[in-house]
Amino acid sequence: MAPPVEYYLLLSAAVFCIGLFGILTRRNALMFLMSVELMLNAANINFIAFSFQHGNLTGQVFSLFTMALAAAEVAVGIGIILVLYRNFQDVDVTKAATMRW
Amino acid sequence: MFEYAPAVALLPFVSFLIALSVGSYMPKKGAFAGIAATGGSLLLSVWAFVTVSGGEVYNEPDLFTWVAAEELSLSFGILIDPLSAMMLIIVSLVAFLVHVFSLGYMNDEGETGLPRYYAELGLFTFSMLAFVYASNLLMAFMFFELVGLCSYLLIGFWFRTESAASAAKKAFLVTRFGDYFFLIGVIGVIATFGTAQFAGQESFPVLAEHALVDGETEAMTTFLGLGEQAWVTLLGMLVLGGVIGKSAQYPLHTWLPDAMEGPTTVSALIHAATMVAAGVYLVARMYGFYALSPTVLTFIAFVGGFTALFAATMGVIKDDIKRVLAYSTISQYGYMMLGLGAGGFVAGSFHLMNHAFFKALLFLGSGSVIVLMHHEQDMWEMGGLKDKAPATYYTFLAGSLALAGIIPFSGFWSKDEILFEALHYGLGNQPLLLGAYAMGLVAVFFTGFYTFRMVFLTFHGDPRSDTARDPHPVGWSVKVPLVVLGLLATFIGFVNMVPVADLLNMDIEFLHQWLDGPEETVTSVHHYEELVHDAAGFEAADIGPYLPGALSLGLALAGAGLAHMLYNVPDPEPHTEKLGNIRTLLKRNYYQDEYQVWIAEGLTLPVARAANKFDRTVVDGAVNGISRVSLDSGSRLKQVQTGVVTNYAALLTFGLVALLVVVGLYGGWF
Repeated sequence: MAPPVEYYLLLSAAVFCIGLFGILTRRNALMFLMSVELMLNAANINFIAFSFQHGNLTGQVFSLFTMALAAAEVAVGIGIILVLYRNFQDVDVTKAATMRW
Repeated sequence: MFEYAPAVALLPFVSFLIALSVGSYMPKKGAFAGIAATGGSLLLSVWAFVTVSGGEVYNEPDLFTWVAAEELSLSFGILIDPLSAMMLIIVSLVAFLVHVFSLGYMNDEGETGLPRYYAELGLFTFSMLAFVYASNLLMAFMFFELVGLCSYLLIGFWFRTESAASAAKKAFLVTRFGDYFFLIGVIGVIATFGTAQFAGQESFPVLAEHALVDGETEAMTTFLGLGEQAWVTLLGMLVLGGVIGKSAQYPLHTWLPDAMEGPTTVSALIHAATMVAAGVYLVARMYGFYALSPTVLTFIAFVGGFTALFAATMGVIKDDIKRVLAYSTISQYGYMMLGLGAGGFVAGSFHLMNHAFFKALLFLGSGSVIVLMHHEQDMWEMGGLKDKAPATYYTFLAGSLALAGIIPFSGFWSKDEILFEALHYGLGNQPLLLGAYAMGLVAVFFTGFYTFRMVFLTFHGDPRSDTARDPHPVGWSVKVPLVVLGLLATFIGFVNMVPVADLLNMDIEFLHQWLDGPEETVTSVHHYEELVHDAAGFEAADIGPYLPGALSLGLALAGAGLAHMLYNVPDPEPHTEKLGNIRTLLKRNYYQDEYQVWIAEGLTLPVARAANKFDRTVVDGAVNGISRVSLDSGSRLKQVQTGVVTNYAALLTFGLVALLVVVGLYGGWF
C-alpha cells in the first residue's frame, strides 16, 4: 500500500525549503550549488509523485530532463566557481561584487 | 539667340570655379579666366541687346522648376526686355573693365590672395547678372542676397586688418536689416497674388493693376483686414526695405562709406554696377507695381531727395578721395530714387546707366591715383598730379564733370531730367514732391563743390608730398579702362537729351524709345506713364524744360566755381576747418553711426540679453530639469544592485512570495 500523495508533497516542500534556506544564508559557492540541487530535486519529487498519482509517465519524463539539466548546470556552476576562486582566491559569493555600478 | 541667355550669367560662374580651384597655378592668378568670362558675357549681352532691338522680348518664366506644388510653383526663369538688356550690358561692361583694371591695380602691386579675389569677382558678377535678368521676385531675392554675400567677401578682402573685417561685417548686417523686410515682402507678394513674375499677363504688377484700376479684386488676397490699395502700399514698402539697404538710402546708408576698406576696383564694381545698383534696379524692374501706389512713390522720392542732399553735405569735408566718392554714390543713388519716385521711370533708369559709367570711371581713376601715390588716399598729400599723369587726369575730369552735372557730360542730362520730372509733377498736384525737388536742387550745388574740391586738391596746385612729386607710373591695363569709361561718361548722355529734343522738336529721345520697347507691353514706359497718371493720380504741370535745367546747371557751376576759388590755387588751405561745429557734425556723419550703435547697444542688446536669459533659464531649465529628475532617480535606484548573489536570491524569493500572496488574496484562495 503506497503512502498518499500528501506525504510526498510535504517531503518535497521540506527539501525545497532547506534548499532555499541554504541559498539565502550560505556564502560558500559550493553550498550554493548544493542548495540549488536540493531545490531542483524537490521539484523532481513533485513530478514523480503526481506522475504516480495520475498514472501516466509525463512527470517521470520531465524529471529525467530536469536531472540532465541539473547535471549540465552543475558543470557550468563548477566552472564559474573555479574562475571565482582563481580571481578572488576564495569561493565566497558576496565578495564577487565588483561588476556592479 | 535666347537659348544662350543662361550663359551670360554662367560664364562668370565658371570663372569663379576656375579661379577658386586652379587659380593659383595660372598666370596672373585667374585674372585671364575672369577677363575671358566677363568679355564673353559682354558679347552675349550685346547680342541679346541687338536681338531685343529687333523686336523680340524673351520671357521664359519656367526654365527650372524649384518647387512644384498644385497651388503655386516657384521657378527660376529669365526675362530679357529692354530694361534688363540695357542693364546686362552695363554690368558686364563694367565688370569686364574692372577685371582688366585689376591687372594693374592688384597683380602689379603684388597683392596676395589673388585667386580668392578673382573667384569672388566672378561670383559677384554672376550673381548680379542673374539678378538683372531674374524673371520673378523670389529669384531676384536669392541673387540679391548672393550679391550681398559677395560684397561682404570683397569688402573684407584684406580681412587681416581689423577695419576691413569690421566694415565687411557692417555692410552685411546693415543690408541684411533691410533684406529682412524684403523677404517678408516677397512672401507677401507670393501669398497675395500666387505668383512673383515680373512681366507677362500673369505677373503680380498686372494682377495688382487689375485689382486696383479695373476693380477685379478677386485677383488678389489681402491680409490683416487691409483694403487692396493699403495692402499694395504695404507690400511696396516692405520690398522697399531691401532697396533702401542695398542702395544705401537714409537711414541704412551707413555701411557704404565704410565699404571703402575693400580694394578700389571692388568699390568701382559695387558702386557702379552691382551691389548698390541692385536696389534701384529692383524698383525699376517692378515699377508697374510701385506706380500703383502714390504713397510709396512719394516716399521713394522723398527718401531719395533727402539722401541726395544729406550725403552731398557730408561729402564736402571728407579728406580721403575714396570717401568723397562714397558719399557721392549715396547722393547719386538718392537722385535715382527721386527720379523713380517722381514718376520718371526713364529719368531714373537713365541716371542709373550714366552713373554706372561715370562712377566706375571715377573709382578706377581714384584707383589709378592711389597707385600713383603709393597707396596714399589723403587728398592733402596729393596735388599737382595733372602734368604727371595726364591720362588719369583727363578721364577723371570727364567723370567729375559728369558727376557734377555740367553740360554736355552725361550726368547733366539725366540729373536734369530727374529734377524736371520731380518739378513738373510737384507743381501739378503733388506738393510733397516739391520738397524732394528742393532738396535735390540744393544737393546739385554741393555736388559741384565737393567734386571739384576733389579734382583741384588731387590734380591741381603744387605737389604737397614727395610721392606726389615723383608718382609711380601706371600701365596700359589701368589706362585702357579709364579711356573707355571716359568716352562713355562724356557721350552716353546724348542718348536721351530731353531739352534738346524739345528745342529742336526732333525725335532723339533714344533711351525713352528703347525702354518703350518695340510694342506696348506691361513693362514698357508708355504703360508706366499711364499708371503713374491714372493709378497714382500724378498730374503734370505744363512747364518747359529750359528754366529748371538752367537753374540746376547754374547751381552746379556755382558749386564748381566756389571750389575753383577756394582750392584751385598753388597751395590750398583747409578752408572747411573754418566751419567749426558744423564741420564736426559733418565729420561725424551727423552722428548716424553713433545713434545706430546706440540703438544696437541700448535697445537690441538688452532685448537679446533678456531673450538669452529666458532661453537659458526657462527653456533650457525645463529640458535640463526633466533629464536631471531621471538622472537622479536612476542613481538612487541603482543602489538596489548590490552585486551580492544572496541579495538577488532573497529579492527573487520575496518577490515570488509577495506575488503569490497578492494573487492569492485577489484570487480568493483563502
